[in-house]
Amino acid sequence: MTLPSVVRLLGLLLLVAFITMPQAFAFIFEPLITRGAPAIYNQGSLLALTLQHLRTVFLATLASTALAVSLGIFVTRPSGAEFLPLSRSLVNIGQTFPPIAVLAIAVPLVGFGEKPTFIALFLYGLLPIFENTLTGLTQVPAQAIEAARGMGMNAWQRLSQVELPLAFPVILAGIRLSVIISLGTATIGSTVAAKGLGEVIIAGLQSNNIAFVLQGGLVVALLAVLIHDGLGLVERAAARRLGRAPDEVS
Amino acid sequence: MSSATSRTSTLGVAPPPRPTLSFDHLGCVIAIIIGIALFAAPFATYRATRIASGEARFLIEALPIAMGTVIVVVSLGVAVVAVLVRDPFGRLGSAVIGLAVLLPALGLSAGFLTPADNTFARVSPSLGFWLLTLSFSLLAIDALARLRLGPYGRLVALAVGVSALALLLFSGIWDSLSILKEYHTRADTFWREARQHLLLAFGSMAAACIIGIPLGIAAYRLKTLRTALLQGLGIVQTIPSIALFGLLMAPLGAIAASVPLAAALGIKGIGAAPAFIALFLYALFPIVANTIAGLSQVPAAAVDAARGMGMSARQQLVEIEMPLAFPVILAGIRIVLVQNLGLATVAALIGGGGFGTFVFQGIGQTAIDLVLLGAIPTVALSFASSIFLDALVDLAKGAHA
Amino acid sequence: MIEIEHLTKRYGTTTVVDDVSFEVDEGSLTVVVGTSGAGKSTLLRMINRLVEPSAGRVLIDGEDTRTIPEEELRHRIGYVIQGYGLFPHRNVAANIATVPRLLGWDRKKIAQRVDELLDLFQLDPAEFAQKFPHELSGGQQQRVGVARALAARPSLLLMDEPFGALDAVIRAKAQDDLLAIQRRLGTTIVLVTHDMNEAFHLGDHIAVMDQARLLQHATPAELLMHPADDFVERLVGTAERPFRLISLATVQDALEAGEAAGEPVAASDNLHDALARLIWTGREALPVADAKGAIVGRISVGGILQHGRPHP
Repeated sequence: MTLPSVVRLLGLLLLVAFITMPQAFAFIFEPLITRGAPAIYNQGSLLALTLQHLRTVFLATLASTALAVSLGIFVTRPSGAEFLPLSRSLVNIGQTFPPIAVLAIAVPLVGFGEKPTFIALFLYGLLPIFENTLTGLTQVPAQAIEAARGMGMNAWQRLSQVELPLAFPVILAGIRLSVIISLGTATIGSTVAAKGLGEVIIAGLQSNNIAFVLQGGLVVALLAVLIHDGLGLVERAAARRLGRAPDEVS
Repeated sequence: MSSATSRTSTLGVAPPPRPTLSFDHLGCVIAIIIGIALFAAPFATYRATRIASGEARFLIEALPIAMGTVIVVVSLGVAVVAVLVRDPFGRLGSAVIGLAVLLPALGLSAGFLTPADNTFARVSPSLGFWLLTLSFSLLAIDALARLRLGPYGRLVALAVGVSALALLLFSGIWDSLSILKEYHTRADTFWREARQHLLLAFGSMAAACIIGIPLGIAAYRLKTLRTALLQGLGIVQTIPSIALFGLLMAPLGAIAASVPLAAALGIKGIGAAPAFIALFLYALFPIVANTIAGLSQVPAAAVDAARGMGMSARQQLVEIEMPLAFPVILAGIRIVLVQNLGLATVAALIGGGGFGTFVFQGIGQTAIDLVLLGAIPTVALSFASSIFLDALVDLAKGAHA
Repeated sequence: MIEIEHLTKRYGTTTVVDDVSFEVDEGSLTVVVGTSGAGKSTLLRMINRLVEPSAGRVLIDGEDTRTIPEEELRHRIGYVIQGYGLFPHRNVAANIATVPRLLGWDRKKIAQRVDELLDLFQLDPAEFAQKFPHELSGGQQQRVGVARALAARPSLLLMDEPFGALDAVIRAKAQDDLLAIQRRLGTTIVLVTHDMNEAFHLGDHIAVMDQARLLQHATPAELLMHPADDFVERLVGTAERPFRLISLATVQDALEAGEAAGEPVAASDNLHDALARLIWTGREALPVADAKGAIVGRISVGGILQHGRPHP
């Protein structure tokens, strides 16, 4: 076992242990609290909040991926080529919008709760995936496409057997970026009453309980780092399967 | 150029020329949006008080009949241009005319809908207005993308846009709009939070440059430092902002409690200090990584030639390597600035101030105008600075090209 | 047999291939040669309909290609391009298996065919089948590219600058390998190149193109002795002419009765190589041996030189 995988495993164990039995860690947080305040978040189960948090991120990423990859395929076909310059510009502009602004603007439109959070995660999550789908599909070597046509592959066979497999690691990198941004935005979603780990931090801020803020921050941070790392492993494995040196994928 | 045509042209076959008169696909989409905006969506929302529920006002009700007709005619004109005209200059021109008519008209509509001497009523733009703005902007953005403006062209376009916006704001034509009424009731706070926002974003960026660039140079030379540093900073990047704020509050609170000098300097667990430090930490990664990347892409032959001419290590760095790495470092600064301007919004959650204050207050009061008062300046700032710095990056690249 | 009839391609007002007609015999190798931009690649790509002709037609064994669905047509025609376009995400075996898989061959038959082709191209299946394109040298990539094109036993092979990315030493070997394989399989080949030496080395027939038009379609010897116009003559290279001519003939063609001293030359060698030997050894004549090594006569400098001018 290598050192990184040991660290990875320890981090995962620590996270699982903390969210399943937080009281066992109370002694760490007790020095931070004032007079009789609870040391461990007591307004809900950390495990349930974590699962809810992951569910929101997962569903939003799934939806973003489906739409972003389809759009990316559309604008790289001859029939969608007229939309390509505009869509590139829109992605660039969209990325200057802070996710919080998207979240805030969604609230007046759809009300409080999961919905604005989901919309913000979905819309903001589109950008990196769409951008990487474009990059991936336009980087496919022209000669491979020409050879595929010359061998009598039809448009669908070229897309499914040559273009998408070659673009796959790059698309995966976009999904990873999208997931990380979504994990953070979902945390802020708690300010608009979405269920999630942000609740712990917000509750801590409201009741001036540093222990809550710290444990909320730790769980979210550990979750993000582990997921980022895990998806990175998947990406490298995919790149290897495609017979490429892992360092070719950024 | 589309990937499909570039593929065939690399194989030595010219794409067939476009027929001169045909429907533009994007133009058709834009025309449909304009149609919906004009006839199927309300132009403005009227509310009797700041928090009352809104009543829709369609274009014919929202404006004096003459002005309403002008809007319809101009919008349909833009739609026709979008569908039939291929020349980017023509498309850009029509989009600009559309915006030049539409934006002041919104102010007129607000004045027209607000009963005289009524200070409680609020008028805000509604779906129809937003869709018209969206479609004209899409047309303009598409035309600009096809024009492929050089850096100076983009700076001029930015200056024109900023001046037009300033003119609209300071002429008073928009003063009857609800968002500006929100602004006028808290103008002092607005500018204070604006200053705080810029201080957080630019201050942490400056600090990250002062620390990050030398760190990047050192990491470029020392491979062991490079790996550790990039991995550590990469982990920081993945931590969501609000979690990092939270993680910094505890140690800073402890420092403030035990070191009186720190407390006297304003370092506290809550407020601007953890926000500033978090933004600084986020900013380090792009700066350090781009410094390393910039130095790595300096041609080895140039450094070799400099050594051959007897330059010292310091002279090589200052005269050869840094100037050649500069555009890449600048690109890192661009990433940091856009990132910081957005993240600074979250600082308000821990009492750090900035435009986020209005956003979170607005969310708390379900007052959309207040949310927009915080969100729009943030978006405008990020947008303008990304165009500005992109242009600078291109100019810096051009200097060595 | 391939019949190319009045093929024309226009893009707007520019004509890139202008009314080109010629025939390619079954089992022969025709080289289309010309300067860059002459329209030779477009001509080639009209044969498998990667480019649709503006006018004219192509018949393969009497069948008009326009009546065959595009993709089916391409399954039947091998196609090799400069740089080969190997699929970077598929290993060598999967690359070669592409068209058989599109045609729905069963797995065993595909595996067998892949091994067969790897053997044919001197690539050990055990070593190369699982390798990815980026792990191969340029020469190996080229062989895999040709093997892939031949996988579904096409009767026609189209090659667009197939040796363009190879260095000189490997290129000469790859050209000889192609000739050997073509002789063995009897595949009809149309090959596009800008390299005159390659054209003379490989072609049974040479089609010279310039500015969209076919200037001459003839055997190499015809081309040398009766160039259609000044352009062809210049392209062939006036100073090179005698040497190209003697390269086209074999020792057998100039065999004389009699004896000579020295190391024998093979009857199948070309006269260019034989002359080189004569010059180098300083002899007027050398003995000639047949394939079995038996001396069948001699070859002389004078005899060779006769083959280096028109009407020998």
